[in-house]
Amino acid sequence: MSPWERRKRGGRYYTRSRKVNGRVVREYVGGGALGELVALMDAEERQRREEEAAAWREEREHLEELAGLVDELCEAVETVARATLLAAGFRQHKRGEWRRRRD
Amino acid sequence: MTEEPTSKSKLTVRRYEDRPVGCPPGSDPVAMTKEEREAHRDTVERLKELVEKAGKGDKKPLPEIRKILKESPDLAWQLLDVGRVAEWRYTEMMLKEEDFGKKEVLRCQLAAMREVIAGDNPSPLERLLADRIVLSWLQIQLFEDLYASSLSKSMTIAQANYYQKRIDHAHRHHLSAIRTLAQIRKLGPAVQINIAEKQINTMGEGIPGS
Repeated sequence: MSPWERRKRGGRYYTRSRKVNGRVVREYVGGGALGELVALMDAEERQRREEEAAAWREEREHLEELAGLVDELCEAVETVARATLLAAGFRQHKRGEWRRRRD
Repeated sequence: MTEEPTSKSKLTVRRYEDRPVGCPPGSDPVAMTKEEREAHRDTVERLKELVEKAGKGDKKPLPEIRKILKESPDLAWQLLDVGRVAEWRYTEMMLKEEDFGKKEVLRCQLAAMREVIAGDNPSPLERLLADRIVLSWLQIQLFEDLYASSLSKSMTIAQANYYQKRIDHAHRHHLSAIRTLAQIRKLGPAVQINIAEKQINTMGEGIPGS
């Protein structure tokens, strides 16, 4: 929905819409130069937020990739350690202590 | 780097070497081909499947686990290759590009930590676990640092949640690595296995069913 509302007697009126308790509430800001100015400020604010969100998405992707490297290593080392223990004749007792297999 | 021990001195105390376990001196682990990396990943995946089965009390996978460990003596140092790449990237991320001095200090600190944690005459598995402990510690530092520096800026709830989640995750990895190393040490030399070069292989000696 456009933030500009067209009036019957002509001219445009700038509005803002936001959600309050799940319902859309429309705030009437103004027309003419004031409406144009507030619309410009809102557009700039929106652009700033979009840029910040994009930067965070990029940073998060980079961090996830970095964390993935360590996750992969930790999982592989754990696998090798467990394999070593199993191969050496041990078994894990109730997901805790490792004990020598008796059979 | 230390001198390579002679065959006679295999059992003597060796100084901790700050190089990947099983990686011969002078070799470049990063030079692994894509196919080799894939093969390595497949081996670890297969090992994981077998370990999960054996963990449920199934004894059938044990011979294959032993076979994989025996036939993949370079498994450990390939893992360490991943670790070193991660460590390098973490230090690059944590410090500014031109902070060569600080980067060097951090790398020396990490090497010293590895040495202390691995202890005297560590087995390849102990060294591998020591590396994991250091790397997970580094991960905690990175995310705590990012979280702390974001506190002074306007941090969104999503960002704060993400950092907290990552810090918790890294703590779990770190504690798990410490616990595994403690278990391996508690069980002693019975857990020596040929996962790297020059390792005394006692696997199968006195083990039921081997």
